Amino acid sequence: MNPSPTQNRSRLALRRLLIVLFIALLVVIFSYGWNVTRIDFTLPQQPQRQENVGNALRELLSPNVFTQDYDVKNTLISFRIGCSDDFPAPVPVDNGEPYIIAAPHCGESDDIITLQGFNFASDGLARINWIGTDEERRIRQIVGTNSDNFVVGFDGTFSVEIQVPRIRGSQNQTHSIETQGRFPIGAPRLSETTYLVLEKMLETIFLALIATAVSILPSVILSFFAAGNLMHPIKMPLGNLLVTFTLFPVGAWLGATLLGALGQTVLQITQTEIGALAIIVSGGVIGALQLPFMASVSFLKKRDDTPKRNAAKPNPIVTILSSVLFAIVIITVFSWLGGTSLWIGRIASEGSFGFIGKFFGSIGQLFELSVIAVGAIVGAFSLSSMGVTLTRSALKEVTVPVSHILGTILGGLAGAILLGLTASIGLTMAWLGLLTPILAASLAAPILPTIYKQFVLKTRRPEQTERFLMTVLGWVGSIVGFIVVFSALNLQRALIEGSTPPRIVVASFAGLELYSYVLQAMLFGGILGAIGGAMAGTKANFPFGDTLYTTTRTILNALRSIEPLIMGLVFVIWVGIGPFAGVLALALHSVASLGKLYSEQIENIDAGPIEALESTGANRLQTIMYAVVPQIVPPYIAFTMYRWDINVRMSTIIGFVGGGGIGFLLQQQINLLRYRDAGVAVLAIAIVVSILDYASASIRQRVG
Amino acid sequence: MIIIENLTKVYDNGFVALRNINLEIPDGQFVSIIGLSGSGKSTLLRCINRLIEPTEGRIIWNGIDVTRASDDELRQIRRKIGMIFQQFNLVKRSSVLTNVMAGRLGYINPIYSLFNYFPKHEQERAMAALKRVGILEKAHNRASALSGGQQQRVGIARTLMQEPEMLLADEPVASLDPATSHSVMKYLQLLNQEDGITVMCSLHFLSLARAYSHRVIALKDGVIEFDGLPDDIDKDRFKMIYGEDAVEVEIH
Repeated sequence: MNPSPTQNRSRLALRRLLIVLFIALLVVIFSYGWNVTRIDFTLPQQPQRQENVGNALRELLSPNVFTQDYDVKNTLISFRIGCSDDFPAPVPVDNGEPYIIAAPHCGESDDIITLQGFNFASDGLARINWIGTDEERRIRQIVGTNSDNFVVGFDGTFSVEIQVPRIRGSQNQTHSIETQGRFPIGAPRLSETTYLVLEKMLETIFLALIATAVSILPSVILSFFAAGNLMHPIKMPLGNLLVTFTLFPVGAWLGATLLGALGQTVLQITQTEIGALAIIVSGGVIGALQLPFMASVSFLKKRDDTPKRNAAKPNPIVTILSSVLFAIVIITVFSWLGGTSLWIGRIASEGSFGFIGKFFGSIGQLFELSVIAVGAIVGAFSLSSMGVTLTRSALKEVTVPVSHILGTILGGLAGAILLGLTASIGLTMAWLGLLTPILAASLAAPILPTIYKQFVLKTRRPEQTERFLMTVLGWVGSIVGFIVVFSALNLQRALIEGSTPPRIVVASFAGLELYSYVLQAMLFGGILGAIGGAMAGTKANFPFGDTLYTTTRTILNALRSIEPLIMGLVFVIWVGIGPFAGVLALALHSVASLGKLYSEQIENIDAGPIEALESTGANRLQTIMYAVVPQIVPPYIAFTMYRWDINVRMSTIIGFVGGGGIGFLLQQQINLLRYRDAGVAVLAIAIVVSILDYASASIRQRVG
Repeated sequence: MIIIENLTKVYDNGFVALRNINLEIPDGQFVSIIGLSGSGKSTLLRCINRLIEPTEGRIIWNGIDVTRASDDELRQIRRKIGMIFQQFNLVKRSSVLTNVMAGRLGYINPIYSLFNYFPKHEQERAMAALKRVGILEKAHNRASALSGGQQQRVGIARTLMQEPEMLLADEPVASLDPATSHSVMKYLQLLNQEDGITVMCSLHFLSLARAYSHRVIALKDGVIEFDGLPDDIDKDRFKMIYGEDAVEVEIH
């Protein structure tokens, strides 16, 4: 049915009213903003301010780029106050040197006399001094000006008027008029400031380059986790996930102690000459055998051509051995690389190419520092993947009561680990303690809706109102979970006073201490995890990819919202003033920013090839390598260039907080009010930024 | 032989794409699947290799239950089932050769893929496949530089790399002009006749189905409306499948 004309009219009137109200609201918001930002047009009209800004701009816009060395030549001529016949006019001699003529050659005080100069530097500066009988120099200003200096004419001559000074007891004495002329020596050259700015600019460009380069690898890895289209299909039976998660800390601990120790030993051995020899030998062996590594891997993973009804169950011994072997190989290669880098750093850090050796040494140091952490990560991943492989078939077989009992146990363990982990973070940083109740809330959220589904809906699809009710139930559960955990852990203290929870040790084992705060959190996590695991059972399909996606995106967004200048402040405290702090700040921000930009490129790719390759039986890694990677390489290059461009801009100001680069110099110059020097820095920034802008735009166009 | 039992697919938004489909397709048959857009043709084909997860029912292929296969088993099954697509689904920026070799990934050690390495004999196999579909000289061109018909032939060469026992073709000629359509269909027919590959091909045009297939299955709203010989589809049957207003269009 069509609305009647009156209805139409009233609707139109309402709409007009709304538009008017909207405009009025805009005016109110805008006026308030105008006041908040203290816009005041009387300030820029004050004469003092106008003069100041004029001076500052003039100096900024006449940057001190070039300099010229000068020689000052003094030319004297005698002048008698009180004319007499025994003082004839001096006769000038033109021998190429500058000379001056005074006319008249004698006079009284306050007379205006004309001075003519010859053979001065064309366009050079000059000044006139009056030297009385007392030998004191008095600068004479040119009549009609109020500046001490004047400019010599283009042909090297000048003609100026000065007033004869009134000096007591000078009557009938012969005085001297001195002209100081400035003569350039040699060609103009770049100023000291320019050299300093060039040096700092180079530092700035490299700061941006290193920060960008360092951020590429982590961003690429993170971008895959932050790509919804890749992550969404990844689902995992809850049982397998829980096994993974439960084994994770055990593997990390084992890896840190055992693999870490192994790595350190390898590092110690390989950073000596023996290590170098071993590398040469093994390089020869690898070359001779043509990638035996690949061959051995293909032996381990021999493939069968015909599909089988039941895939062969993995031999547990083979699985364990290959996992352990894999972990050992990884950590050995890692520490070997580190040791070799250290070795190169030690033997090759002298000479003009010593910086290359130093670079390797520094990388080796990084390897050395991270060997324990890498051991922990490798250990965690190996143990959990081993656990999943061993339990996969068993988990597939379990039936209803057992799967839920198993879910309870594993869920409890995993929940305890998860909340224990966040509580440990909360021990060091007060507000991060909030992670624990937030996670508890998200664990508690599905409990009530699931109960409703189980007992009220059974297999029926929920109606509109029921769906709403389930959402409300979810919120209720999560809020209750949050409040309970928040108050039990006494987190209000952390929020208000910013103090971390007390560290009361309840148990200690092999150097690891368990604090009561962490234990409490683990108890809550255990209970919530057990309830969740019991209800879902080990066979439930857990949207693992979505969880990864959300977590990665949240972290990236949080990181991206912190400006590099603020990160720079923190890094300056950590590593001191200098470009290193700037590199760290820009790199961290670039990871967050590039990670997001990259992942959006993955989300924009054509999904067809992915589907096609999945249909051929390619596994996930192969699908990514052949269907995703070729599509994302050009945009990745484009965005990396774009980020380098941004990083150069950022690095010009990261120095304001002590992050090195040209900003540091610029800030000093501005603080010292040396605007002409600051002008050089500003000019350099403008030139470099526009060149890079152009370069990155043209590269992006070419690859895009 | 593939047996489909009580196959039902309900999408997350509640749309029922397939209702209780029962089919039995013997080896070596060329089956056309026809029906209006949205009748469930693509869903049916994608359920067979589980690109789409069936909601209910079983699919038994050569005695293996596809619907219950684990990830590893599923990959082994998929290796033997080729698939070609309406939009060809090639990686446009990669070379034709790389696109074809990608069809072999299921047989190749995943470690090789990290280094973008294919063994020599696999490269030769890809060249042979390209020769078979008649575009050997385009091997080193970018896929995007090829015409639609050529791209679809690259798609066929890619499935040849799988040494498939069955071929699922999801509207393989819907984006092509009539002449090219016939040439692509002829290649499918060739694979069916020479290699004995079972072909399940969804088509828009009944005339193509009549020309190339042994058997026609018509879907309407997710239900099998007709299953029989191409010649058995008369005017009344046609109107049942495509609706009262439809007129059969010939494509020559």
